[in-house]
Amino acid sequence: MLNSRRLMLQTASCGFGALALNSLLAEQSGVTGNPLHPRVPFHPARAQRVIFLCMSGGPAQLDTFDYKPQTGKKPHPGSVFRFRRHGESGLHVSELLPETAKQADKLCVINGMHADTGIHAQSFLQLHTGERLRPRPSLGAWVSYGLGTENSNLPGFISLNTSKTSVYSSGFLPSIHNGTPIGVNGEDMTRATISNLPGGTPRQLQRKQLNLVQSLNRRHLTQSDGSDELEGVIRSMELGYRMQMSAPDLLDLSGETEATLRRYRVGEAVEQIGTCRPTDFGRQCLLARRFAEAGVRFIEVNHGSWDQHKNHRRDLQANCQATDAPIAALLSDLEERGMLDETLVVWGGEFGRPGLVPGDGKDETGHNARGFTFWMAGGGVKAGYVHGRTSGTGAQAVEGKVHFRDLHATILHLLGLPANDLTWFHQGRHHRLTGPDGGQVVSELFA
Amino acid sequence: MFGYRYLSNIHRQIVFAGFRRAAIRCCVVIPLLVLSSGSVDLQASQPEEMQSKRRFFETRIRPVLIRHCYECHAADSGELGGRLLLDHAVGLIQGGESGRAILPGDPAGSLLIRALRYEGLEMPPSEPLPPAVIADFEKWIADGAFDPRTDPPVATPDIPETPPEHWAWSPPQLPAIPDVIGQQWADTEIDQLVLKEFEAAEQRTPNDASSRIVARRLYLNLTGLPPTIQQLEEAEELLGEKSESGLESLVDRLLSSPQFGERWGRHWLDVARYGESNGNDGLGRNPTFPHAWRYRDYVIESINSDMPWDQFLSEQLAGDLLPADNDRQRDRQLIATGFLALGAKPAKAMNDDFTMDVVADQIDTIGRGILGVSIACARCHDHKTDPIPTSEYYALAGILTSTETMWGLAANEGLTAPKTDLHVLKTPPAVLPPEGFVETVLVLESNTGRPKPIPKPPWPAGTPLAMGVRDRGKPEDCPINVKGSSKNQGDIVARGFPKFCSPELMEVPEIDPARSGRLELARWITHPQHPLTARVLANRVWMHLFGRGIVATPDEFGLYGEAPVSQDLLDYLAVRLVEDRWSLKSLIRRIVLSRVFRLEAVNPDDRAQIAMATILPQRRRLDAESFRDGVMSVAGVLDLEPPDGSLIRHRDILVNLAGNLHESSPHRSVYLCYLRSSPPPELMPFDLPDFTNAVGQRAETTIPAQALFLLNSPFMQRQSAALAELICRAEDEPRRRIEFLWKQVLQRPPETEELNEAMEFVRPQSVESDSTDVLWRALCQSLLMTSEFRYLD
Repeated sequence: MLNSRRLMLQTASCGFGALALNSLLAEQSGVTGNPLHPRVPFHPARAQRVIFLCMSGGPAQLDTFDYKPQTGKKPHPGSVFRFRRHGESGLHVSELLPETAKQADKLCVINGMHADTGIHAQSFLQLHTGERLRPRPSLGAWVSYGLGTENSNLPGFISLNTSKTSVYSSGFLPSIHNGTPIGVNGEDMTRATISNLPGGTPRQLQRKQLNLVQSLNRRHLTQSDGSDELEGVIRSMELGYRMQMSAPDLLDLSGETEATLRRYRVGEAVEQIGTCRPTDFGRQCLLARRFAEAGVRFIEVNHGSWDQHKNHRRDLQANCQATDAPIAALLSDLEERGMLDETLVVWGGEFGRPGLVPGDGKDETGHNARGFTFWMAGGGVKAGYVHGRTSGTGAQAVEGKVHFRDLHATILHLLGLPANDLTWFHQGRHHRLTGPDGGQVVSELFA
Repeated sequence: MFGYRYLSNIHRQIVFAGFRRAAIRCCVVIPLLVLSSGSVDLQASQPEEMQSKRRFFETRIRPVLIRHCYECHAADSGELGGRLLLDHAVGLIQGGESGRAILPGDPAGSLLIRALRYEGLEMPPSEPLPPAVIADFEKWIADGAFDPRTDPPVATPDIPETPPEHWAWSPPQLPAIPDVIGQQWADTEIDQLVLKEFEAAEQRTPNDASSRIVARRLYLNLTGLPPTIQQLEEAEELLGEKSESGLESLVDRLLSSPQFGERWGRHWLDVARYGESNGNDGLGRNPTFPHAWRYRDYVIESINSDMPWDQFLSEQLAGDLLPADNDRQRDRQLIATGFLALGAKPAKAMNDDFTMDVVADQIDTIGRGILGVSIACARCHDHKTDPIPTSEYYALAGILTSTETMWGLAANEGLTAPKTDLHVLKTPPAVLPPEGFVETVLVLESNTGRPKPIPKPPWPAGTPLAMGVRDRGKPEDCPINVKGSSKNQGDIVARGFPKFCSPELMEVPEIDPARSGRLELARWITHPQHPLTARVLANRVWMHLFGRGIVATPDEFGLYGEAPVSQDLLDYLAVRLVEDRWSLKSLIRRIVLSRVFRLEAVNPDDRAQIAMATILPQRRRLDAESFRDGVMSVAGVLDLEPPDGSLIRHRDILVNLAGNLHESSPHRSVYLCYLRSSPPPELMPFDLPDFTNAVGQRAETTIPAQALFLLNSPFMQRQSAALAELICRAEDEPRRRIEFLWKQVLQRPPETEELNEAMEFVRPQSVESDSTDVLWRALCQSLLMTSEFRYLD
């Protein structure tokens, strides 16, 4: 009775595909039920992992990637910084991003992004979870749930310099998919670490101690008819123990060459200029590469705030300067290491901004969720390509429109996951990242 | 002046005439469909007049509707906007979620015109139509809104008048207590109800658990603390008695201990999404709630005094409106209303929906927290499965918009939340900040980098204050916010209660128009015939005691939720709860005296078992609080005295600027400072909810961060050291120490093999090996890390 009703609900709410996937996932996670066990993708994956460069606050697309020159007799909103075409692709990049511009031929620019609301909190949550009003699992948690981790010594989802738990939360997904936060948003990353990594107990004694605990735990397990739960305890104690060996090394940049540190601008934090905080963004980018190498599936890197209402020109310039060289270094470094092909780099924020009108003396911008820019690079997307278009003043997306749910669908698809069928049964129905409407996979972006 | 305005009006008309022509030109390409031959005219008109009206409709109205409205408001629209159809005459008259779209003859009163003018509603959403087009619509409606589109309308999805049959919509009935073959086995009526299912499936009931397990279960479930070895031995003796009276006296002792309220109060605080700060407002700011702790204390005291649950709920919803015999009672009831004021709010800055966000949190907490139904999704659209139309959401919302929610100063950050008043209490003593206290967490001016001065609070220093609610001066019904946007206002809905859970036999209180309606809301919710309130509580009580609810979705009893494993059992408990004057303690007592409570834990993954077996005792990890309290208790350092107030009682500050505000405390975990977005680090790794919405059942996950906490956290280091000191002081001889340690932590002596392993562990093995102190500390820590200590079997 109970089972048939549950089955009915499951099939009725999201169809059989979703149901089958759930059990398939359960199967793949193995008899021992390790939910982080790496899984085989559902269709050929173009990317193995994601580095999400999250630019919070609403980066001004018209002065970075979406070039809007003046067209009419009367001045209209548009780009107020100079643009040039770059690389073989001839992509337009603003003068504020000279280093990124050198990587233009790697970028797949999406100029037709649009979202539902210009309210920061809501749109930021929607960018991360697909839902703007209530807590839901973050994109990274879905990826960890869908793919597991390639490195049994590390979590599947790490969020650097992160601001709020809601954006790296596993929501209703098992909390092993929760993002592991490193560093507090807006603070200097130099001191950032994972809680409780260093212990007072000498390593050798701790191993001995863990052996004793595991022996007692196994006895408890035997007495309890081999409960899965207690089995899970034993496994997770072991992973925790191993994490404390690998994570500190990954966080320690002393093994990197001077040249690499310079290239990423590690430690060259600029002073706080308006909304732009000196967080050592270069360190984040370098850590992201190190975590990517170590097999973490989803790494979020944060910079903010791009919400330069007043002093648009000065603050935007500062934000660009703080991020330009580190991002360029990340892209070229990934390429040199042969990792760019399998690493999807995504850049963008919760929305964009309207353009200034050149020469009208104003220097203040608001929010624009009706048209803005994201870019991707690596991981199976076209290089040196522009998708979509906003209107002549950049006010709204008019061609090749991509909503957050489409972006999510596209990212999941690139990772080999079924965009609209990666689901979790919670409170009586199947939930998915792309929401009730589902997302469109933007296959035009694929290389 | 006059002349100028006149001229400019003419000018405007000329300009827009061009627009209008353009619009019409665009639209002639759309085939003029459905001039249905069999159409029935809605208006009785003279043929010629009718001709002209038809022409007007076809040239001025229909093209605009097709071009600008059909995308969302036609029978074949992907998602029908606001349940409103504009591709049919009836659709316009009938209207949608926000009410009738047009009132023929009355353009000013027509919602459609208000929407086109962007007054409240904004349609089309992309940009307003040119004024001349709007003028056409006004003329069309003024002339009677002739509309030839009268083909049989396509059925719109509709909320049925009578809610569909669903077990949870009708009041619980006391089931017949079944005859069972194993009458001997069954101690109570609960046992009979459970045993019946096993007998019907011809399955064996699980074995009885050992008295050690039962005693641990009773202690941890009722007090949140493991028993000491003395308590355990005493309990085993009582449980071993032939008669029931031994068990009964043990249960009564635990129920009357002050630790009971701390344990069960904590469960309710999860539901009440209790937090001592707002949590991140979306802009990174997180103001403290320095007076929230009074609500925490209220909850613990009420549960310890076994306040009837209907009264407990009523005080929280409407304590300010209840009569009070004295100042103490008045204060208590005002503090209780903190329940509605504790919500986590998104920033006020740039957020037109702020007020309705506050209301949405309140409705969600009442809905999922008390009634076990998510009403809150009807904020933006009719509920997808449960019979809750948007209008009923706004009927409830009107009660709360007629209520003033008082969260206090919000750290004087107006962009986060505007300051509000607070309840000033009469009976608690004024408590001043400690001498020499200076607030160091300050907001800096963005221009100068200098600290902003802290505004003087409106109350004298030390005034006892409480968060809470009170009626607004002028209660008002609330308009529907179309798609949840306060800019898009539809019909005003009279305040009231959802019909789907107001069965016929239950009288629904009438709301006094001069008041908010919270008192009536409380009466409606606590009505003895209310189909949900008692069931939701009974289910949660079962869930806390056994590990799983009879309904597996404790906050969701609607069509989306799980059906009860046994409705008879759930209804039995719910009816008895109401009969026992809503006494929580009586309900718990009734359940823990049953034989089923004393059965061995079953493996939840055993698929062969019958449904009933899945709600019998489950193995569970101790929750964050029980683990911390348990560790400190066995280490001998837990102070059972409740502390006074909270760490932040004198601090109206932004938590996000403060770094770590937490300090180690000897008191029980429930008294730690539950800052949202910055929870106590000693609890954080163990699935602490974020306290932003009602949580009936916490997650229970096993993650490496927990292992890291157990292995390396300063808390574990401190407690292991304390425990090592305790055992080393108590016994000299290693073997005796180990035995003592096992009894202290696991309430049993070590098995021979365990003893040998532990002996081996503490023996120094080489010259450079660790000192014995370190080894004993490490051994103690090991025992605190074991699954046996951290789980309730």
